[in-house]
Amino acid sequence: MFEKFTADARAVVRGAVEQTDRTGSGTVGEPELLLALLDRADSPAAEALGALGVHERRESVADALAAARRRGGMSTADAAALAGLGIDLDEIVARVEQAHGVGALSADGPAGPRKRARRPFSAEAKSVLERALRIAVGRGDRYIGDEHLLMALTARPGPAAAVLADHGVTYGDVVRELGEARGRRAS
Amino acid sequence: MTEATDLAEQAGDRDPRVGLRAVAALRRLLEQLEAVQVRSARAQGWSWQEIAAELGVSRQAVHKKHGRR
Repeated sequence: MFEKFTADARAVVRGAVEQTDRTGSGTVGEPELLLALLDRADSPAAEALGALGVHERRESVADALAAARRRGGMSTADAAALAGLGIDLDEIVARVEQAHGVGALSADGPAGPRKRARRPFSAEAKSVLERALRIAVGRGDRYIGDEHLLMALTARPGPAAAVLADHGVTYGDVVRELGEARGRRAS
Repeated sequence: MTEATDLAEQAGDRDPRVGLRAVAALRRLLEQLEAVQVRSARAQGWSWQEIAAELGVSRQAVHKKHGRR
C-alpha cells in the first residue's frame, strides 16, 4: 500500500511517528496523524486545513487531542452523553489519576519506557490508512495523498473527527474544500 | 462539565441518539477502567486467576483480553 503514497502522505506518516514523542503515547494513533497533517505546508491537506481555519488554531487542536487522550480517547460528545446519565467523566479521570498516576486512563497507560517502538502503529492508525486507501480508490485516484488521510480521519467517528468537529470542521467541509481546490487547479 | 450537562439536557432524554451515545460512551469508559485495574493488579503481583475471579469471568477470557501487555 505504501508504494502508492505521495511524498506528502509519506511525510505525514513519518511526522506522525515523530509526534509520538510529543504526545507521549508511544504509538501512532489518530491524534499523531492529525498533528502531523497540521505540520505540513503546501500540500493538498495543508491547504484545506488552512482554508478551513484549522491551521491557525493548531494549539487549540493539540490541547483538545491531549485532553481527549487523558480521558481515554473519549470526546467532548462522549463526556456530554455521560453527563446526561449523571456521570462526571472529568471526576472519574481525576480519581483514576489520583490512584494510578496522570495519564492512567489513556489507552496505553501512563507514559513510560515500556513497549516503545514495538508497535509504532496502533490498530486505530492502521484503520485510518486503510480507509484512506479505500477513499482514494472510491474517488478514482491512483495515489494516496495527504488529502486522503485527512478525509479518512474525518470520515468516521473517532478522536480526530471529534476534535475537528469541535473546531467546526466535518468530513463534508473537508470534501467540499478539497473539491474546490481541485477545481481551482484544473481551471 | 456544566456545559456538557446543559448540552445533554438540551438534546432531550427521549432522543434515542442521546441514550445510545451514552451507552456507547459508558462501554468505552468501562473498557478503559477495566484495563487500568487489570494493569494495576498485575503490577501488584495478582495472578490472572485472581483477577478473573474478581471480574466474574474466566481466567482464559481475562488473559486473552489483557495478556499481551
